[in-house]
Amino acid sequence: MTSSLDVLLGFTQALALTMSVAFVTYVLLIVVPYLRHEPAPLGRPNRFEWHFLVPCRDEEAVIGDTIRYLRTHFPIAHVWIIDDDSDDRTAGVVRTVRRNGGQEDKHIHLVQRVRPHARTGKGDALNDAYRTLKLWMGRHADADRAVIVVVDADGRPAPNCLEVCAADHLFGDDRLGAVQVDVRMINTGVRQDDVSWWRRRTGAALVRMQDLEFRTAIAAIQMSRGVTGTISMGGNGQFTRLSALDSIAGPTGQPWRGSLLEDFELGVHLLTAGWRTGFTMDTHVNQEGLYSLRRFLAQRTRWGQGTMQCLRYLPRIWDSKHLSTLGAAEMLYYLAQPWMQLLGTLIYPIPMIMLGHRSATSPAEVGQWFADGAWILFAVYGAFGLMPFVLWGPVYRARCEPGVSIWRSLGYGFGYALYIYTFYITSWRALIRLIRGDNGWTKTRRNTDRVAGKVALDH
Amino acid sequence: MAERNPRVTLAGSPPIRRTDVPSRVVVVALLGASIGLLFAHQAYRTAEITLSGALLEAFSSDGVHVAAERQTVYFGLGSETPLGLRMTPECTSAFLVLPLLVVGAVMIALRPRIRQRVLVALGVAATAVVVVNQFRVLTLVGLVKWLGVDTGYYWGHTLLGSMVSVFGGAAALVLFVWLATRK
Repeated sequence: MTSSLDVLLGFTQALALTMSVAFVTYVLLIVVPYLRHEPAPLGRPNRFEWHFLVPCRDEEAVIGDTIRYLRTHFPIAHVWIIDDDSDDRTAGVVRTVRRNGGQEDKHIHLVQRVRPHARTGKGDALNDAYRTLKLWMGRHADADRAVIVVVDADGRPAPNCLEVCAADHLFGDDRLGAVQVDVRMINTGVRQDDVSWWRRRTGAALVRMQDLEFRTAIAAIQMSRGVTGTISMGGNGQFTRLSALDSIAGPTGQPWRGSLLEDFELGVHLLTAGWRTGFTMDTHVNQEGLYSLRRFLAQRTRWGQGTMQCLRYLPRIWDSKHLSTLGAAEMLYYLAQPWMQLLGTLIYPIPMIMLGHRSATSPAEVGQWFADGAWILFAVYGAFGLMPFVLWGPVYRARCEPGVSIWRSLGYGFGYALYIYTFYITSWRALIRLIRGDNGWTKTRRNTDRVAGKVALDH
Repeated sequence: MAERNPRVTLAGSPPIRRTDVPSRVVVVALLGASIGLLFAHQAYRTAEITLSGALLEAFSSDGVHVAAERQTVYFGLGSETPLGLRMTPECTSAFLVLPLLVVGAVMIALRPRIRQRVLVALGVAATAVVVVNQFRVLTLVGLVKWLGVDTGYYWGHTLLGSMVSVFGGAAALVLFVWLATRK
């Protein structure tokens, strides 16, 4: 007679195998086009009108340099600073830079928000700027030619980003509503000062992993979404055609919505409204990677919670006549990720717990079982569990950091596997917050912020 | 711009879902089959081992006997190395078919118009999983006959069996996704 424990073991093993095999297959399918990518021809930026939107809250320390950077590298673009009722001198810095020593820079704009209507989320801040921009442009402006670029307060878009995004296959194509560019960590390889040796090392490793993640795995996923027609938007380096925003803004003028993942949400609305979205690795935006594991976990918890919230869009996605079944399936897979991670934390340990129990009760039997070849099973499953993550280390070396030795790149790969396992923690934290109805997040903390207390990060 | 503007929609007003009755029936049937597999896996394993017995009889000159009540097939009867293989819950394909059924049900529930395509994909992928498992059993038997019980079972069950499951599972999944989502 088969015991229920055997059935549980068989069931969990099969589920674990299915989930692992699905993931390995998925990774192998996305890595090949990523490695084969070649840069595309550039376009003419002056065919379009560019508007950078920079949401800010207490960004006095960085905003001046960001405005100067944007105005220097993109002189044809307008820069809209959205001050979310900062407690510091953010607005003052913007006004000073705009005065430009007496010769006012009319390409710099300040959108001032005031409490109680301020600090209600990044989406609301962007919507305010969108409405202000629409008023400023007037009713007869050509919204097809205007492109809105969302950049973080410390974001540094690469100097070629307008040329790349103006290309024929991106905004040169009338059907394309939005483009997401590659994201890089500007502080990769830069170690923190004034911290202990251990924190300096782990902080640098954490930033390296974020750089590896964005430049390899996320870029490869985005490229594969080019096939499924489901390229998603990120919070930084997000380019959207104004007419596309208009088409989803509704009567209240709100193209960005209220979930914690307002960037992904924007992509869903654009795709289900019939717009195409694009992704390019030919340019990038630099942002600061996080040194602090605590802040990193807070950031990923927010992303996980946002993804869970966006599950409500599944019917909309699958009902849309604009999305193929493959595209809808890809988005289902993405939205199911945090839930699968929760399931994984329940399922994956079961065989191990049972083995541990058996080892404790019949050590000789288990020892013999291992010696008879069970170790091979463990080696095979271990390899399949690690391979989809370790692989990205050498891929990172091949595409992004050719100066790194192969051994170091393998080390990065193993580090990335460890890094990814933190998602099992953040998914549970996200679920707990979701159950508690805890949907608010405090302001983004940058690496230079030293204030203790509750943190959350926008990137 | 006239071509592009049909996309203009009121925010937050997605089309209303209408799942037709046949699709609902199929979704319920698939979910019922999943639960059935979970609770009636013994019957499934009996069927699976009976199929293995039939295949072994077709491919082998030695005697084969299926003890259905124990989900065990004995082969090599009459030879120097008779052996019995039991289809345990860890070895059955039942729990590999189960997630496919659930995913198929979810897909049909979300997009009823692809019902037929998903059912075909499910049929093909489930068949592939079953065939792969039978292939694993046949390979194991072949290796036992070739290398002897100890070595043959060692390589056939532990390594090759796992590899066959992994690659077979991957092939079945790719087949399912490709067939269910192609235009």
